[in-house]
Amino acid sequence: MKLKDILSPFNVWERAAKKPWTIKDPINDRPGAANYRGFHKNDFDKCIGCGSCEEICQNDAIDLVPVEGQETKEGNSGLRPRIDYGRCCWCGLCVDICPTGALTMSNDYTWVADDPEDYRFIPGADKTKWQDATKGYKRDEGIALINYDRVKMKEIEPENRDKSFIEIVKGYNKDQAMKEAERCLECGICIATCPAHMDIPAYIAAIRDDDIENAFRILYETNPLPEICGRICTHKCETVCALHHNGEPLAIRWLKRYIADQIPKDKYMEVLGTEHLADPILDRKVAIIGAGPAGISAAYYLAIMGYQVKIFEALPDSGGMTRYGIPEYRLPYDQIEKDYDYIKSLGVEMQFSTRVGEDISLEELHRDYDAVFAGTGLHLGRSTRIPGSDNKRVYFATDLLREVSLGNEIDVAEKIVVIGGGNVAMDITRTLARLQNIKYGKVDVLTTSLETEDIMPADREEVVEAREEKAVIDPGWGPKEIEISDGKIKGLHVVKCLSVFDEDGRFNPKFDDNQRKFFEADMIVESIGQGMDLSYLSEEIKSGLKFGPRGRIQVNKNFQSDLKWLFVGGDIIQGPDVIHGVANGHVAARAIDQFLKK
Amino acid sequence: MKNILKRLNEKIDDLVVVKQRDDLYFIKVKREHTDFILRYLKLDENFKHLDFMQAVDYIENNQFQLTYMLYNYEIKINLGINVMIDREKAEMDSMHRIWPHLWQYQREIHEMYGINFPGSPRVDESFVLEGWEEMPPMRRDFDTLEYSKRTFYPRPGRSTNDPKEYMKEKLYHDFAKSPKIRRDDE
Repeated sequence: MKLKDILSPFNVWERAAKKPWTIKDPINDRPGAANYRGFHKNDFDKCIGCGSCEEICQNDAIDLVPVEGQETKEGNSGLRPRIDYGRCCWCGLCVDICPTGALTMSNDYTWVADDPEDYRFIPGADKTKWQDATKGYKRDEGIALINYDRVKMKEIEPENRDKSFIEIVKGYNKDQAMKEAERCLECGICIATCPAHMDIPAYIAAIRDDDIENAFRILYETNPLPEICGRICTHKCETVCALHHNGEPLAIRWLKRYIADQIPKDKYMEVLGTEHLADPILDRKVAIIGAGPAGISAAYYLAIMGYQVKIFEALPDSGGMTRYGIPEYRLPYDQIEKDYDYIKSLGVEMQFSTRVGEDISLEELHRDYDAVFAGTGLHLGRSTRIPGSDNKRVYFATDLLREVSLGNEIDVAEKIVVIGGGNVAMDITRTLARLQNIKYGKVDVLTTSLETEDIMPADREEVVEAREEKAVIDPGWGPKEIEISDGKIKGLHVVKCLSVFDEDGRFNPKFDDNQRKFFEADMIVESIGQGMDLSYLSEEIKSGLKFGPRGRIQVNKNFQSDLKWLFVGGDIIQGPDVIHGVANGHVAARAIDQFLKK
Repeated sequence: MKNILKRLNEKIDDLVVVKQRDDLYFIKVKREHTDFILRYLKLDENFKHLDFMQAVDYIENNQFQLTYMLYNYEIKINLGINVMIDREKAEMDSMHRIWPHLWQYQREIHEMYGINFPGSPRVDESFVLEGWEEMPPMRRDFDTLEYSKRTFYPRPGRSTNDPKEYMKEKLYHDFAKSPKIRRDDE
């Protein structure tokens, strides 16, 4: 016998003083494994009620129901999943698909109740003994039923775009669009947030089915400017997309553009079934002031109902701010025309270079037409009113952008400072950078804003692309004074801006006068907001209207003013952006129809 | 493992090896070579143990993938043998003579995927689905939801809401889609 054989039985004593492996009370105390697929938990702070869990459930075990205390609001339906444990098989697909990561499982698996109805419960709302369990099944980071990465959009490289106004974004091709459309969960959460309530999941489903003509018809149900909105919409829908909680939101805007890009201009009437509309049939006439998005949207919906519509536009061409405010590299003029020409072909008349209030009075329109819709927009610049801002080399961004669109040459300086942090500020910055490049072969434009980079109102990609085009963005400074010597601008003095809004969220900037900077410049552009020009309203008409805060005309929810025949919408009421204009115009068109039928 | 793969390379044309982890490898084997390769791995390369066998339905390629998961106790490495077979003619040679317990896996796969293993003991007997008359349920074209809706009666008191419709009702119920395009014959 070997010594090992004698000693080895004593090995069992090795663990004598240690904690036993065995469980003391295996009947009552027997936890599931750390990733056990036990009873469900739902984190209501994360859940948006998108219904993906219900959609994927192969046992039809989940219903979406309202829950007290869960509010229906933008980005959140307020509905929550209720699970029928009579049907659940704990496969965990609902946890795997959950785009926000709200739905998880605990490792608890014992539950005794007398009433079978108890087993149909709402995780997160009904009190359960496992609601605070930390263990249990969670989606493995490596496994995703959802593709969280957006199909990359091809863009023209900075060095190939910074000397011209060529369109930067190339648009999706068919493969890219189909692949991106595949990512949509079809929850429909986005529709409420879109001001025009476009049926986004429906047109994306049509892309997936490769039924572009149907997709196009769906667009026109709520938005007659798909080429424009497909390029420059503020895409509020994407900010609430269920996918954005854990990844990149669906590229809804680019998919809309893809649809419109596929339909050639001469096929519009055929696809939309409006070939017979060229002559209005009703003897009712509506005048529209302003050929911007709000006006044209109202005109379109009135036209398809049969009204005679005439648009009066002060500027020499259509589009309003989409043409005279947004640079061509973001929205080419031929795309504006594609949208507008179709609406013209429906019998909508447009009279350009006619300013209501000067060339024709609003009273005349009231006399000659049954109703008037005014969507005159925000075309006036606002001044910082700092010392020196009255110099002739201080400009408003809106004026310069309009001049560029009109094809007029502007006197571009070698050194320019832009004041403002919104998209218009980026538009003028990048426009001036191009003009400098063309004229001087170099860029020297600096843009500064009150807001620091993290709270700048401009879209992130605008800031990034402006820098790619060699503009300098130096945010977080408040303009103090424009230094002038012999009538010529020397530059802009700024002080550090500590905060823009006070605790109540009101605009009330605070500065640190000890931190100063001086930006050299011989031309300064102000882009700190726009104002409206309501000079077309005579005193008599004004006396019949009510005005709200900041001089806005008060309208009801149908955009009807106190003068029943006058409807007002677009940037001067809501926004400013294109999609609010489109939505306002649509609602107003229906209201005008109701008003004229009375 | 390197040497094992080297020797395998001499036996199999265009050997494709996927290394998933340090202790987990996969190789692809043609159907007609499966018997030979499994025997070789068991007898000559010491992969004595068969952990399990499973199937995956690659409906897109009209194929099933069968996986034999082998284990070598000496080097402590798993080696998965993947075999693609035709989905239309779902049939595979039985390997139960190499590892007798394979008959049970083959019986289960026969039931769940409808893949036949001629000569495998009791392969036609039910595994868990007694009285099953549908298509084999693990086939991807089996519609589980449709089956459960048809088979299990709806419990009274259940109702659900579509987030899209519900949000419209709550937030913008008076908003209407495009007015009807007028027709001249009306």
